[in-house]
Amino acid sequence: MSRKGIGLAAFDRSRLKSASYASHGSNLRSANASALETQLSVFRSLLQQFAATHAKDIRSNPTFRAQFARMCAAIGVDPLLASSSADGSGGQGGGSIWSQLLGRTVNDFYFELAVKVVEVCSDTRSENGGLIEVRKVREKIMAGRVEGAGGITEDDILRAVGTLKPLGSAYSIVKVGSKNYIRSVPKELNTDQSAVLEAVQVLGYVSVSMLMVNLRWARARAQTALEDLVGEGMLWVDKQSQEWEYWSPGFMLESEEFGVGTAG
Amino acid sequence: MTTPSDPFVFPREYYFPPFFTRQTNLTTHHAQLTKWSSLILSYCRHHRLFKISLSDFAEKDLFFNKQLNRRLSLSDIREVIDFMRKNDNRAEYADSDQKNGGAGKDGAGGGGGDIVWIYWRTPEEWASLVESWVEGTAQKGTVLTVYELTEGEGTRGTEFWGIDQELLLKALQILVKRGKAQIFGQEDSLGVKFF
Repeated sequence: MSRKGIGLAAFDRSRLKSASYASHGSNLRSANASALETQLSVFRSLLQQFAATHAKDIRSNPTFRAQFARMCAAIGVDPLLASSSADGSGGQGGGSIWSQLLGRTVNDFYFELAVKVVEVCSDTRSENGGLIEVRKVREKIMAGRVEGAGGITEDDILRAVGTLKPLGSAYSIVKVGSKNYIRSVPKELNTDQSAVLEAVQVLGYVSVSMLMVNLRWARARAQTALEDLVGEGMLWVDKQSQEWEYWSPGFMLESEEFGVGTAG
Repeated sequence: MTTPSDPFVFPREYYFPPFFTRQTNLTTHHAQLTKWSSLILSYCRHHRLFKISLSDFAEKDLFFNKQLNRRLSLSDIREVIDFMRKNDNRAEYADSDQKNGGAGKDGAGGGGGDIVWIYWRTPEEWASLVESWVEGTAQKGTVLTVYELTEGEGTRGTEFWGIDQELLLKALQILVKRGKAQIFGQEDSLGVKFF
């Protein structure tokens, strides 16, 4: 054995070397791949198991569900995307890996919730013009629930509204100020209207002069924004105060607390 | 009228100031009318009021929230009543159809159309209540006086005990038309026979 590798044999040796490197590399690759495969299958079965054993928790326990949703998000999985994207094939073949894995529990939970959200929105649309606070929707749904059915969170409702996306733009989440609203009419709010709705959140109502002072708007601008919102049915007008006040119908549902306190 | 001791619990919208102002948006206004209608019905049911004087009640808590200092104006009240009349026949002007009877009995207030029947149960509904009571107590074929029906011991505890006599007569007339009852006697001693 020559240590220096001179002469023709050196070429052979280098060829052998690179060949063995290549085979070793492919060995490693396949080992990696099979390891990944087993990992994936383990993960799969674990998730399956998890979903099976915790199906009840996922449905009934809001914090657990939130954690689960967060976990799915962390590993890049949207448990809801699953069946909405795979409804073409119909029958059993349909449904992505996730809906199969999770046994539809998660999906069904959000779809059922979405139906309730739609019900609440259409029930109240005539009094709020199709704009309702997510919190109010949650309250209403909770009020109509049978005891022991488990709580739902605002986060659940946001997700549920997300499942309605394939139906078109009718239902969407609008953020006004710090609060989330569900908009169930296909109308966009302009910035002035959003600003008014944000201002209304503070006291439950605003007036033209309040807008003029706080937002430094001209009278005409304030008047227009308010009248637009009244026209959309999103604000109710009270003409029996010194200056006309424009109230958020969402405040109607809170008025029990209002009836007791709020001196002014 | 007997007034139950437990106070009427007003709904949330009663504490919502714009509820007392006629809303300009059509859809909103419709929602408002619906809410007022159900408030009036449940209020009258609670207090067992069968007819009310609008001008009278415009000053009472039903239409006047003193806490908020907001009131529903008389013309707006009339609009709600009209809405109720067209909607399931839940109200009726008392003086309009009583031309030959005792018109304007308590109508001391403003002119015509001040007294309104509030039908938290329609005459038809009262009729079927009476009918099923007669059936349930096996009194078909017997003669009962109107007084017995409204104030008697036998009907104590039934829903129509203490009902306005005029309203009961409306209900009985429906049974008469259906051939289920016959009314006879004088103004103040009316008897009914059920079949």
